[in-house]
Formats: sequence, structure tokens, C-alpha cells
Amino acid sequence: MLRRLSKVVEVLGALAVLIFLVMLFANGPTAPPPAPAAAIEAAGGIDGSAVYKAKCAGCHGGDGSGGIGPKLADRVVVRFPDPAAQVAVVTEGKRGMPAFGGRLTEEEIAAVVEYTRTLLGT
Amino acid sequence: MNDQTNGATISNQKAVFAGAALAGAFVAVMLGVYGKVHDPASETTIKLFFTSTLHFKAWATTLVFVLAIGQLIGALWMYGKLPVRPAPSWVGPAHRISGILALVVSLPVAYHCLWSLGFNPDPGGGRRFAHSLFGCVFYGAFATKILAVRSKRMPSWALPIMGGLVFALLVVVWFTSSFWFFRTIGWEV
Repeated sequence: MLRRLSKVVEVLGALAVLIFLVMLFANGPTAPPPAPAAAIEAAGGIDGSAVYKAKCAGCHGGDGSGGIGPKLADRVVVRFPDPAAQVAVVTEGKRGMPAFGGRLTEEEIAAVVEYTRTLLGT
Repeated sequence: MNDQTNGATISNQKAVFAGAALAGAFVAVMLGVYGKVHDPASETTIKLFFTSTLHFKAWATTLVFVLAIGQLIGALWMYGKLPVRPAPSWVGPAHRISGILALVVSLPVAYHCLWSLGFNPDPGGGRRFAHSLFGCVFYGAFATKILAVRSKRMPSWALPIMGGLVFALLVVVWFTSSFWFFRTIGWEV
């Protein structure tokens, strides 16, 4: 009985590997989510780099080169041509990205978004 | 004559193992090349009921790690290295099922690593580079082990060596990902 089950599991395992390989090559990046109406306001004197180090660097790396979170440096502006779209992702989260709307103020989010788009590179 | 036959058999076994090792090296290199050449999507994938994909990955890799510990115990039992009665007949199939289950659970994790993040050389640090490198080598070693299990012409030492290597690589992969995540983010689900 267990031997028969192991044969079934082997077939399923082989199928999973096949799906894995197909997805690596077939799956392209999706378009960024539609931008909300709000745009980035002036940072109001908040240090975006400090917010970044406290809340973002753990996942995206201190220099924005990525880690368990995706790379931001040299990429974030290309990925989010409209800064409001980036604000939306930081505020509401997007699948793996936790929502920071309840943890950061609008001004802090604006500051950290501005920081990632300028000092971290485009 | 018998000595000659035995010598030829041993030589043949080594050649079979070398072929399997080469196939595993090919798998590892191809994964690394994909991760380096492919433009990272920088997107999240599945998260199931977890907070984020990263939480899912940390816990899924931990599940793989737990299954691998079970694999290690099962292997030691089958090889008579545990101070208990000989392994019953169900240990072999159970070992095989849990091994494949571990592989299947690891695939969505590897998919996100390769497709979304890519191979990270990380010249300034070390963790990401080590994780990228040993993650690729892990799958290469796993492929070699699968071939070692399948072939009846492998040297007797091949299977325990490859099993031990796969487990050791998984320990490194877990420490450079899930362990780091839990220490940095916390034991969140």
C-alpha cells in the first residue's frame, strides 16, 4: 500500500518539477497596479533614509540591492513610473509586501518613497 | 579473472557516479545561470494564508528542513545506525514519500528565489551570495541523489554520501534564509 502510494507521489513530484521548469520560462512579470489618485506630497522634513533603514532595509537591503524582498535600487522608478503607484504598494501592500498604512504616517511613506526613488537610484 | 571482473565493476560504478554527479552539476549551474541571466521580476508569488510570500517561504523552507531531519533519521535507521531494532519495511517508502514531499514544498520557494529575486552575488555581504550559491548546489546534489537512488550500478557509498551532502546543503540554505528571516523579522506567520 505504502509502496503504491510512493509511486503515485513520485509521479506527482515529477509533475511538480515539470510545472516549476515551465513556470520559470513561461511566466512574465505582471503590470504594476493602477495608481491611486493621491500623489506624493512634500516629505515635510521627515528623513526618508531613517524610515527606510527602520522599516525597509531588513527585506530590501540597506543599499536597496534586495534580499528577501526585491531589489529597489536602479529599478524602482522603472517598475513604478508613477510614484503614486509605489505609494499605494507601500501603504496597502501587494501580495508579499506587508501593508505599512497602519504603521507609517502618510508623510513617512512619502518620504521613504522619495528616498527610494532618488538616493537609492532609479 | 575475478579480480579483473571486480576491478571493472568498481570502475564502471565510479563512472556511473561521475555521470550522475555531472548531471547534478549541470542542474546546479543551469539554475545559477537562469538566476543570473533572467531579469528578476521583483514580484511576489503565492503566500497562501501567510502574511506575505516571504513569510510563506520562511515557513515552507522550515517544513522542508523538518522533513529533511526525518529523512536523516530514516536513512540512519535503514542503514542500521540507530540503536534500535532494524528498520521495518515501511521506512523505505515513507523515506521516499517524505523526500519527494520536501522537494515539492521547496519548489515554490525556489521559484520565487529564481524568478523574482535572481542569483545575488552580493559582493558587500555574504548571506545572499551563500544562499544563492548553495541553493543552486542543493538542487544539483538532490538531482545526483535521485539518480543514485534510481541506478543499481552506483557504488554503495554514493547514496549515503549524497544524502548527507543534500542534508548539509539544506542546513546552509535554511540558515541563510529562514533562520535569518526569523531573527530579522520575527516568528511571524
